[in-house]
Amino acid sequence: MHQSISGIPRKKVYTRADVPDSWWDELDSNPGEPPFIRGAYPDMYRSKLWRIFQLSGYGSPTDMNERLKFLLNAGETGIIIKHDRMTDDHLYDVDHPEVAERREDVGLTGTVTVGLKDYQTIMKDIPIEEVYAKPGGGVPQSAPYTQSCYWSVALSRGIPLSKVSGTGQSDFFLTYLGCPCKEQIPPRAALRFNLDIIEFCNEYMPHWIPVSVAGYNGADSGLNAPQEIASVLATAVEYLDGVSKRGKLQPKDFAHQIGGVNFRVSMDIFEEIAKLRVARKMWHDLLRDRYGITDPKASRMRIHVVTAGSAMTYQEPMNNIVRGTIMALAAVLGGTQSLGVSGYDEALSIPSDHAHLMSIRIQQILQEETGLASVADPLGGSFYIESLCNELESRSWEIFNEIQNQGGFVTTVENGWLRGKASEEQQNLAKRFEQSDMKLVGVNAHQIADPILHVDGFEGSSGDATWSDAMDRLKDLRRTRDTNMALDSLRELESVCKSDKNIVPAVMKAVQADASIGEIGSVFREAFGVWDVSENEFGM
Amino acid sequence: MIVDTDQITQKAKVLVVKTSLDGHWRGVSLVARALRDNGFEVVLGGMLRPSQIAVVARDEDVELIGLNVGGRIEVVNRILDELEKVGMSKIPVFCGGTVAPKAARELLARGVEVYPPGTMLATIVEAACRLTKSV
Repeated sequence: MHQSISGIPRKKVYTRADVPDSWWDELDSNPGEPPFIRGAYPDMYRSKLWRIFQLSGYGSPTDMNERLKFLLNAGETGIIIKHDRMTDDHLYDVDHPEVAERREDVGLTGTVTVGLKDYQTIMKDIPIEEVYAKPGGGVPQSAPYTQSCYWSVALSRGIPLSKVSGTGQSDFFLTYLGCPCKEQIPPRAALRFNLDIIEFCNEYMPHWIPVSVAGYNGADSGLNAPQEIASVLATAVEYLDGVSKRGKLQPKDFAHQIGGVNFRVSMDIFEEIAKLRVARKMWHDLLRDRYGITDPKASRMRIHVVTAGSAMTYQEPMNNIVRGTIMALAAVLGGTQSLGVSGYDEALSIPSDHAHLMSIRIQQILQEETGLASVADPLGGSFYIESLCNELESRSWEIFNEIQNQGGFVTTVENGWLRGKASEEQQNLAKRFEQSDMKLVGVNAHQIADPILHVDGFEGSSGDATWSDAMDRLKDLRRTRDTNMALDSLRELESVCKSDKNIVPAVMKAVQADASIGEIGSVFREAFGVWDVSENEFGM
Repeated sequence: MIVDTDQITQKAKVLVVKTSLDGHWRGVSLVARALRDNGFEVVLGGMLRPSQIAVVARDEDVELIGLNVGGRIEVVNRILDELEKVGMSKIPVFCGGTVAPKAARELLARGVEVYPPGTMLATIVEAACRLTKSV
């Protein structure tokens, strides 16, 4: 019991002596000042509340549009378009055999799009110039498609790309570590896509975070806190080194674009608060020591937190509202810039409208009713928190160096090392749960026969009808488009993939010529091949 | 692991496979490992399609199928239908994953035991032993 979720021992009480002088020295800085331990901005939430930024998406593009409007109306301050994992993450058309044989699942895990026109539907009546958006693309191979579609909708409304604000993601943790795709381009090709997106956004999109390293997906796949911090930083190094090796940009020109990252916050509140504080310091130190960058615009890490889906229990789901609140509180005490709270029905399904509303209400209650937004870094100077920060920092650098010594982050994805670490931690946590060393109320502690209130899973509008509807839209797209123009754009994309040119403009052209998602996916699979995972434990 | 592996007299062969393309692998990997650690021969099916699952189950001559459900019940039903088509309607099937209560009741009615998130691995191993009569 008396150790943190990452295995850091907990003493009965902490005193000044538990924090080394070197750490006290680092702490002699105000919020908003390097090394940003105490926060990214001087006035923190007094000057700007954290963004309420909920993962959302299901069913048809019309369903997606309605849910976005519902969330905006309830007070969400940024929008996230979550896509159907079968079609979007895999870049399959809905008539692909892999999809058709599981057609009822289409739209269950996100909204299903067949091409650009569906994005027009998703964004109907939503002012792109006013919203901060994450239009999807959690998975590297789908990021160019989803973002090109979103940006193309903006352009079709006469909004220049320079005015569009939001964030990409395309992290390696989701599908190369935790939730593998059946078919996806190899990690090196994924890295090339991300570097292309960074260069493209550097040139055209000053208000867009091109890639957001998402520690969340690493952590919810098993990585502990030091491993999460280390691999987030090591991913950023791949981007900084990769882009600068191309010769057009130096790290100082684009480091600010990749300093918007994502962390998971789970139930161990003190460790999570410490994690966010120490991650900011390490990002600052990494840029200073490795790249000589001290410009605060770059070295100020901005954090988006998603609360741990894995902390949400299937049993007695309403208890998860409490868990969501606790995790949200930890994220805010750690100084996050934006926050998504997992739905209370997370272990059963994607969020129902009510679960979504609760996730927003939790955040609004914290913002409006608690005094939490008044004081920056209110826990600064806590002996326990500062001692944890110091300990987490040394553990994280150790892992970071181990990753670098192996040849960098992508190498540790390719050789299965990172997967091994995640798997070890998963088993470790499972064991602690089985032995009741880790307790979950209503699951392995304090169970009762009838928890009174019952919740069922939200199925949205998935099912045969959603698939048939998408099939009709796909047929329509193929029938109404200028076929030659679409095929030409795909041929051009193919030749760009095989060259060292940036793929983003070619993908933009393809989606604007009404190439379908699956056609773009076929070009990628043809050009780059498919990642062979037969040698690791996924067993696919 | 809590199950006494000495009691397992014969290794049963289990196909562990996902029903959907959702990719969530944490639960299925833990379950597959627990079964293997307890003497089962585990065939990892990854994300085979419903019709492929039935063919692999038959060709590999497995004695139990463990489904990780990340999608809708219609797809699970399709897998059960495909199993019937290849003459494997009697094979025991159990499942875990995001099976919401209503779907769980429907699956139970078709003879599929459901072990939702939060189930002890030991419970799943015990179920596998019972379903394959390994103990």
